[in-house]
Amino acid sequence: MMDERLTDRCRPTRNKRFPVPLCLLALVLSACLISSCSGSHSTLDPAGPEAAKVAQLFYVMLAGGAVIWIGLVAALIYAASKKHAHSEESAGRVILWGGAVIPTVILCVLLSYGMWLMPAIRPWVPDDQQVRRIEVTGEQFWWRVRYLDEAGRVMFETGNEVRIPVGEPAHFSLKAADVIHSFWVPSLGGKMDMIPGRTNPLTLTADKEGTYRGVCAEFCGESHALMAFTVRAVAPEEHEAWLAERRDSAPQDAEGLAVFLNNGCGACHAISGTAANGRIGPDLTAFGARDMLAAGTLPHTAEDIARFIADPGEIKPGVKMPRFGMLPEDDIEKIAAFLKELR
Amino acid sequence: MVELGNFSPEERAAQEERLRKVWKTPGGWRYWTSVNNSEIGLWYGVTAFAFMLFAGALALLMRAQLATPNNDLVSAELYNQAFTLHGTVMMFLFAVPIFEAVAIFLLPSMLGARELPFPRLSAFGFWSFLLGGIFVCGSIFFNAAPNAGWFMYPPLATDKEYAGIGADIWLLGLSFIEVASIAAAVEIIVGIMKCRAPGMRINMMPMFAWYLLIVAGMILFAFPPLIAGDILFEMERMFDWPFFDVTRGGDPLLWQHLFWIFGHPEVYIIFLPAIALMAMIVPTFSQRPIVGYSWIVLAAVGTGFLSFGLWVHHMFTTGLPQISLAFFSAASEAVAIPTGVQIFVFIATMLAGRVIFSLPMLFGAGGLAIFIIGGLTGVMVALAPFDWQAHDTYFIVAHLHYVLIGGMFFPIVAGIYYYFPFVTGKKLSDAWGKVAFWLMFVGFNVAFFPMHFSGLRGMPRRVFTYPEHFGWDLFNLLSTIGAFIFAAGVLTFVIDIFRPKPEPETRNLNPWNAGTLEWTNDPSEDWGMRSVPIITSRYPLWEQENLQADIEAGRYYLPDAKSGKRETLVTSVLDAEPIQCLRVGGVSYVPMISALALGGVFIALTYHWWIPTILCAVITFIAILWWLWTGTAQIPETEEVDVGLGKTLPVYVSGPASVGWWAMFITMVGDGTAFASLIFGYFFYWTVHDDFTAGATGPGAFWPMVALVLFVTAWLLTIAARALNEKGPAGCRIALGAGILVTIAACLAGLAGPYVHGMDPTSNVYPATVWVIALWTVVHGAVGIVMQAYSLARSFAGRMTAEYDQDIRNVTLYWHFMAFTAVVTFAVLGLFPMVSA
Amino acid sequence: MKSFIPREVESLWTLFTAPTVWAIHFVGCYAAVAVYCAKAATLDLSFETVRLALGGFTIVALAVIVLSAYLAWRQWSFGVQDPPHDEPTRDGRTLFQGYATLLLSGLSFVAVVYAAIPLLFIAECQR
Repeated sequence: MMDERLTDRCRPTRNKRFPVPLCLLALVLSACLISSCSGSHSTLDPAGPEAAKVAQLFYVMLAGGAVIWIGLVAALIYAASKKHAHSEESAGRVILWGGAVIPTVILCVLLSYGMWLMPAIRPWVPDDQQVRRIEVTGEQFWWRVRYLDEAGRVMFETGNEVRIPVGEPAHFSLKAADVIHSFWVPSLGGKMDMIPGRTNPLTLTADKEGTYRGVCAEFCGESHALMAFTVRAVAPEEHEAWLAERRDSAPQDAEGLAVFLNNGCGACHAISGTAANGRIGPDLTAFGARDMLAAGTLPHTAEDIARFIADPGEIKPGVKMPRFGMLPEDDIEKIAAFLKELR
Repeated sequence: MVELGNFSPEERAAQEERLRKVWKTPGGWRYWTSVNNSEIGLWYGVTAFAFMLFAGALALLMRAQLATPNNDLVSAELYNQAFTLHGTVMMFLFAVPIFEAVAIFLLPSMLGARELPFPRLSAFGFWSFLLGGIFVCGSIFFNAAPNAGWFMYPPLATDKEYAGIGADIWLLGLSFIEVASIAAAVEIIVGIMKCRAPGMRINMMPMFAWYLLIVAGMILFAFPPLIAGDILFEMERMFDWPFFDVTRGGDPLLWQHLFWIFGHPEVYIIFLPAIALMAMIVPTFSQRPIVGYSWIVLAAVGTGFLSFGLWVHHMFTTGLPQISLAFFSAASEAVAIPTGVQIFVFIATMLAGRVIFSLPMLFGAGGLAIFIIGGLTGVMVALAPFDWQAHDTYFIVAHLHYVLIGGMFFPIVAGIYYYFPFVTGKKLSDAWGKVAFWLMFVGFNVAFFPMHFSGLRGMPRRVFTYPEHFGWDLFNLLSTIGAFIFAAGVLTFVIDIFRPKPEPETRNLNPWNAGTLEWTNDPSEDWGMRSVPIITSRYPLWEQENLQADIEAGRYYLPDAKSGKRETLVTSVLDAEPIQCLRVGGVSYVPMISALALGGVFIALTYHWWIPTILCAVITFIAILWWLWTGTAQIPETEEVDVGLGKTLPVYVSGPASVGWWAMFITMVGDGTAFASLIFGYFFYWTVHDDFTAGATGPGAFWPMVALVLFVTAWLLTIAARALNEKGPAGCRIALGAGILVTIAACLAGLAGPYVHGMDPTSNVYPATVWVIALWTVVHGAVGIVMQAYSLARSFAGRMTAEYDQDIRNVTLYWHFMAFTAVVTFAVLGLFPMVSA
Repeated sequence: MKSFIPREVESLWTLFTAPTVWAIHFVGCYAAVAVYCAKAATLDLSFETVRLALGGFTIVALAVIVLSAYLAWRQWSFGVQDPPHDEPTRDGRTLFQGYATLLLSGLSFVAVVYAAIPLLFIAECQR
């Protein structure tokens, strides 16, 4: 399922704003060095304006850097191998122009470009502006995602997966529950740290439908490597429909729910419309509709769910969830099947 | 022009006999009590290199784990310990110490000094470094290594469940090594400023000395903020003072600020000395003086300053206002200019000369080609918008290794090839060297170039594993293969060093035909310079005729050691006119004992063994006092000595002319920087909170003001003691006695403010900050008392007189800083809460 | 000016004048915006005012650097002699000091101008 979406994203991307030489360079790069496809997780395969502008900035700098490097190395080789010594005066002029004047001008232009870009890609959204925000809290080692309404009230909670409407800015409020994490969706834009005691804002826009992978970019403990999430960008109408649906979803499989509750899962996990209302672990409402399991670590199959329940630490060292391998196998399978079907 | 000395062969033999006896390195196990710069420098260098190999092995372990996706060669925990230790060891135990080593080893010969001014301090620094290093590295064998990254961000690193004893090992082990670095900085600055050969004016100094002077100055301002941070961190871990705990008003970002105020200059502290080596190598192999000497000074000084305006570029993604980030983007771009100047100085020198290609040049040029890529990616990540993407990805891993391996490791290898004959009298093999170079060069690029792409394609740093299907697999496999090729190159190089080499047929002290002074030294003798020459050129060996022969014939200064003591010349700062014949410390156990005991304090503290801590602290205290009492400010048997060429110089000087005064001054500048960092912390908490006192009562204004007045009084009494000492001991002793009493009262008053107002440091960050600043000042007051008491004792013992007053002058200098610290402390603690309310 | 500041300064410290001005300017700008953006709610001040003030501060800093550059130029005898200034004399040394100080003033000037560029582009405390 995952792979399918990936190949789906494997179409060559064309960005009209790129000047021709840059486009060529990008092509060469992607052809030679980046093999077939950039996947849904690459800064060089932008799916939003911030990532696109930064990718463009990168290509500009790459082109300039390549020219400078070749020039300098050529100068070094020439200086080492020439037959006749130059006069000290002319060598001194090389320092003045090559070392001081030209770099000063180039860097001044580059700096201005970068400074102009900053407010352009991350515009000012006052904290008190009435917008719908998505509050994402980094926890060891998963993401608590809460959808807030314009007044800042929690509409519902989910985990490890974010849905946003295409073409509209998504306003994130980023928090941390335990240690510092960092929220990063390479295809959409730059990262922003999640720091205990602070709320950092981040606005990202997707201009193409698709699923984009994000990861934790700040080292946050033993399983920092296993802390991913997905951002699914869908058509605005579809997004509204999903928001409405999620606000009042309830499980269908009563027997599975009973096993789930009897084994105490509800102490840490919540499923809306049931007695399970734990807030320690991820909210499992509509769990079956998610792309991945255990914060982007496992494919979303009933077997893997069962495997995770039996021994989470085996898959994710340092995870807070205790192992439930002592439960009857049958119970674990029932819970897994129940979760897999949650919509 | 002075008339050079002229000695008969018999006289020369007698002189050499005496010199040999004075500078003799002890044999047997007492060898380790040696303090001579050539021994200490060598031990320091070999130890640092060994730590590098250890950290390199950890890197190979990590690369093996990352060779394929979802690999399970090592556990997550071991991987996390390995990458933490790799970064920590490479930065703290290799990159900085190796240059302290090179500096201690080379500087005296380059400057034409017999010895740096404080050889025992160098020895102390080395033993501290060795002990601290083994302690930190050894921890991984007990599964107790630090595991929160070399940057140790709280709250992860303050979480005792996650970061156990390893975090304390990191904090205390490295604090100890930072002490060693500051000791080396003092030694290097004073050495360069005061111990140059006569005539070596500041426009004559070897480039290496200019760079090291700047680097040592940077250490002085860069390391103390980290020491201040370490104090806050350890107070939180040990006593639960909530500096970084947000539930009680703390803020993890303060650590990031303090860490990176250290961390970024650190990069340049590592890089500049490597460029300094290149600035020695390039002119030699271009066979002409460097073109753009003043440009190099511009580059070194400019980089030194600008590097302190870069720290927030490690914090571009922490959510600070864009305008704050932008200033740091600007400075980060500006610092590329002096770096570019340095590269062009080398190109210009090569243009104006005839280049002889050789191994040092090969490594230098290869390193430069690599470094330029790192510099260019550095210019890229300096722009905040690009860094928002690149930060904490493998792109940064690639960038920093291009900078550090190209800008530091390759030049140091070039330097080892270049200076190997200087150390041993033999050259390393050309054939082995070429193999090593190509293995390293190719291996490095295969390992690190693909990381740019894995990073851009979204691979974050510090991951023990990664999933397949994201196009990272091939890049990582390449990186792993490259890492092993690179390691093979390093191994080739190490084998070449230790491989037995035939004795050279002819004795050639200067095999590269270099122009700088160090190549006059005979590695088989312990005395350094046979006689201290008068310098009239930047490249004396090229431009001063007969220099080598005259030096060896003892025709210059200090050709003899009649006093039976180790002597070197002290000259004036700007024009290097001889002003003193300094007697430096010789072979001694004291530095080793002090270092081991101080190490004991830090190690025992790690495990909360309070009694051994106190015991070791007492031993350290006694050892250092003993060291000072028997080894410094000795009243000489004669006022002046004949240093040759018809010149007599004083043996004892005090005040700003003396090296001891400078050492105190420099140490206190570093100390003041640490204090400033704590004050920065105070105001940082003020900015992040609406009400930074969190409703808690402060220390009030009364007691802080009392403390302030008392400290100022004690300062005035100390100044009076110095002035009265010139008239006789009685007044001085009374003033010192009164000073001690007033300082005791001042310390008590300083603590009374927070104490009587019942401020509980564990309740909130505000009382904790007040306490830590007050304690800092009171501890300094206590040191002030020890100094006053020491001067008093010296006066009673007849070791300090009206004429020989180094002790009281240095103590007064300490008290100037003390008074400043106290005034700032108590004005801020007592008055600021009122102002801000 | 001539009467106040001797032509040849017998100190190493003058070398650091211009970079120190850069440091003061840099820290001043950073501290001003850090405090302003943290305390904006309690301050009756617009960001425009802060930018203008920092702009003025920049001009003052540049003026001081130009002054230091002039003094250095004077110490360098207005460039009558070319580098390398490696003569073993007191004159050689002071010329070297003047030249190096002049170069550092140039670098510091550029660095201060760079630090002012953000003030042109960024108009809010946005994050």
